[in-house]
Amino acid sequence: MTALVRAELLKVRSTRLSLVLLLATLAMVALTIAVSVPQEDAQDVPLTLDDPRLLAVVVGESLGVPQVVVVLLGVLTATQEHRYGTVTSTFLVEPRRARVLVAKCLSSIIGSLVVAVVSLAFSVVVTMGLIRSRGGDLTAGTLLWQVLGAGLLVLALYGVIGVAVGALVRNQVVAVVAVLVWMLAVEYLLVPAFLSVGRWLPLGTTFALLQTGPTLDLSGSLLAAPVAALVLVGYAVAAAALAVVVAPRRDVL
Amino acid sequence: MRRREPSVTSAIEMHALTKTFGSVHAVADVTATVAPGRVTAFLGPNGAGKTTTLRMLLGLVAPTSGTATFDGRRYDELRDPVRQVGAVLEASGFHPGRTALDHLRVLATAARLPREMPERVLAETGLAGDARRRVGEYSLGMRQRLGLAAAMLGDPGVLVLDEPTNGLDPEGVRWLRGYVRRLADEGRTVLVSSHALSEVEQTADDVLVIARGRLVRSSSLAALRAEAGVGSMVRTPDPDRLGAALDVAGHTYRPEKGGLAVDAAPELVGELAAAHGVVLHALAGTGGLEQAFFRLVGEPEPQEETMTSEEVLS
Repeated sequence: MTALVRAELLKVRSTRLSLVLLLATLAMVALTIAVSVPQEDAQDVPLTLDDPRLLAVVVGESLGVPQVVVVLLGVLTATQEHRYGTVTSTFLVEPRRARVLVAKCLSSIIGSLVVAVVSLAFSVVVTMGLIRSRGGDLTAGTLLWQVLGAGLLVLALYGVIGVAVGALVRNQVVAVVAVLVWMLAVEYLLVPAFLSVGRWLPLGTTFALLQTGPTLDLSGSLLAAPVAALVLVGYAVAAAALAVVVAPRRDVL
Repeated sequence: MRRREPSVTSAIEMHALTKTFGSVHAVADVTATVAPGRVTAFLGPNGAGKTTTLRMLLGLVAPTSGTATFDGRRYDELRDPVRQVGAVLEASGFHPGRTALDHLRVLATAARLPREMPERVLAETGLAGDARRRVGEYSLGMRQRLGLAAAMLGDPGVLVLDEPTNGLDPEGVRWLRGYVRRLADEGRTVLVSSHALSEVEQTADDVLVIARGRLVRSSSLAALRAEAGVGSMVRTPDPDRLGAALDVAGHTYRPEKGGLAVDAAPELVGELAAAHGVVLHALAGTGGLEQAFFRLVGEPEPQEETMTSEEVLS
């Protein structure tokens, strides 16, 4: 399994895509932060500059784009093999396809953690800089540590979900479009509108985990962080299990 | 490359191999053995079921029924598949943004092969100078070579090549022939598919001919050639009279390329023409092998559909 995971990681490293995506992600993280940190004279904002939760919440919020990116990376990991026909040589090397899929999930977790660490470090530095320059509260309490930990967990799990979706859908364009529509449109409309159900959806759990609640004015209605974590783990495990059971049965033509 | 002990290599065995896609019988009841130390050509027109058969052999497509094994083991039961079987399949591809060397490194890493193998097989297939170029810049011929390099990564005893000459220039085809011959001479089992007999005529020892999903012939190429006999191409300004003479003499013929293709040796045709006073503008002998192949794979009459290979041949 180690050999397979190393091979999967080499696949990701040996094309330019990952680096390009990572740089684009950091640019988007910076943009999100710029929008999230309130101006000095801002009134009527969910969090003011002197709110001690500000740093943690902005950092949590800035993970929205990396979250989409790791899912896309996972989807591409799985679908690219079909798009370019490399799946044939992959399965010739390891005909037990479930093992290949598990290796892909593990390598996606590692890749997602790299994206998470880089994004979080970048985000903390940029957010602190911006808050300081506007004279805001820089408390880095337990809430920040909770957001950082949750960020690692959320991105790792989303990476697994991406691989599972890609393995199940196979068609790259369909998978990418479906993921983007679901994550950026459907969930963002559904979760706040029908919170009793929405808080159980993946996005609802990440709102709870990444402390995005206050800015969206959803604070009290979300799941408790540990429950949200369990639910999201459940989604990832279920998606991976479904993919491992279903995908290897298909013919590779 | 080192010379192999024949005992290391294994025969390929297919038994009643069948694949149906919905109501389409892509491959029906194929039983054959491919022997080590020989080049076996797997022949048939496009769409005859060659690729599906090879993909079943390699565990990529699940057979509807029947088995395909290497020394008694299914591909997915092989302990170290890359070291035992190498394959180049038509649809197998490369990520255009990845270099050739990295493509092979990925495979070598997954198969736990020695680190030097990727560079070694690249040198062997003549790609050493282009190892660090992205595959997107490769020509079709170079991709074929890279596919072959990937197949050779584990120095396997069995080689399965699906239409390997596609995209190769004449020089590449000649190189491939020599390469395939050498692999078989080293004691390996080599199965090469092709839609044209002429492509493998010079290299193959054995032939498996498949048409409409069924195996219609399994023998040595020499046996097929002996059976096929000889033929000739003749051009005459008076094809009707020559045809009548051929009819009387009991030879079959058909119009082809502005002349007649006759199932008889050129000596016979020339003598017959002289005896009947028919003017000839050209006369040449042709191997009957190509015709024999076309007869084998030709569209059978409806009542012949369930015939066995022996019946079709007779």
